[in-house]
Amino acid sequence: MNISPHEAEESLEAIRKITQKTRRSIASSGAYIFLIITGIIWMVGYVATQFLSGSIVVYIWVGTSILGSIIATLVGSRNDRRVRSSATPVYVKRIITFWIFLVFFCIATIAVAQPTDGKQIAMFIVLFTMIGQFAMGLPLSFSSTWWAIPIAALALIGYFFFPDFFYLWMGILVGGGMIALGFYIRFRW
Amino acid sequence: MAELNEIIHQPVRLQIMATLIALKEGNEVDFTYLRDLLEVTDGNLGAHLRKLEETGYIAMNKTFVDRKPRTFITATPLGRKIFQEHVAALESILKRK
Repeated sequence: MNISPHEAEESLEAIRKITQKTRRSIASSGAYIFLIITGIIWMVGYVATQFLSGSIVVYIWVGTSILGSIIATLVGSRNDRRVRSSATPVYVKRIITFWIFLVFFCIATIAVAQPTDGKQIAMFIVLFTMIGQFAMGLPLSFSSTWWAIPIAALALIGYFFFPDFFYLWMGILVGGGMIALGFYIRFRW
Repeated sequence: MAELNEIIHQPVRLQIMATLIALKEGNEVDFTYLRDLLEVTDGNLGAHLRKLEETGYIAMNKTFVDRKPRTFITATPLGRKIFQEHVAALESILKRK
């Protein structure tokens, strides 16, 4: 079989493109779900925190978080079934263990830093969540984790430069940014 | 010296093999996932998969998930070897340019 150098170049380019598309598709399959759902929870929760007070805010946070967890589990398990691996159960156990420890370290950090206000607690949660996301994706590819850095940076800007509008900033820019990024990864990446 | 493989060289089959090789060894991918990723029809993909299965380059595992029939596809060790040789042959053609 003989082909021209031009045809060989086209074939190699086709291989490169589909390989990249496959890796991105696999790497982003969990990321976009996490981004959209967490973005919606944060948007509703933080905007409510900015404008409302009392137990209604707690109910909104708990309600959206539970609903988000259920949706993420359902959508995530549906996506997981598209690529199967014999090593998947081992990875799932390790991922669950990692997040349990990360939650423990986050709670411990908040406890050590007491007294803290709501904004500080919000920042601790955001930063630990972004560390978790960054660590999760890094072994796969940097392209699936880079977004944790601008999200964390956006939250820090709001915390240090716009304290009066911090919750609104978190809801609209950080929450909204995560939703937009999630849809971008899903449909454009 | 690595040789070009006529079966793999067909554009859709080349993309199928490249997708399966991009997965970790032993991982398998759902038929519908592959169809959506490659933007081909069920019939077109099915025909190319059968051709690749006949040559032993891929393996298809038909199973039931939630009582629905599903087909999972993976590259065999032979398929991986042949694909890598094909890529090496393409690269050597470019080097001679």
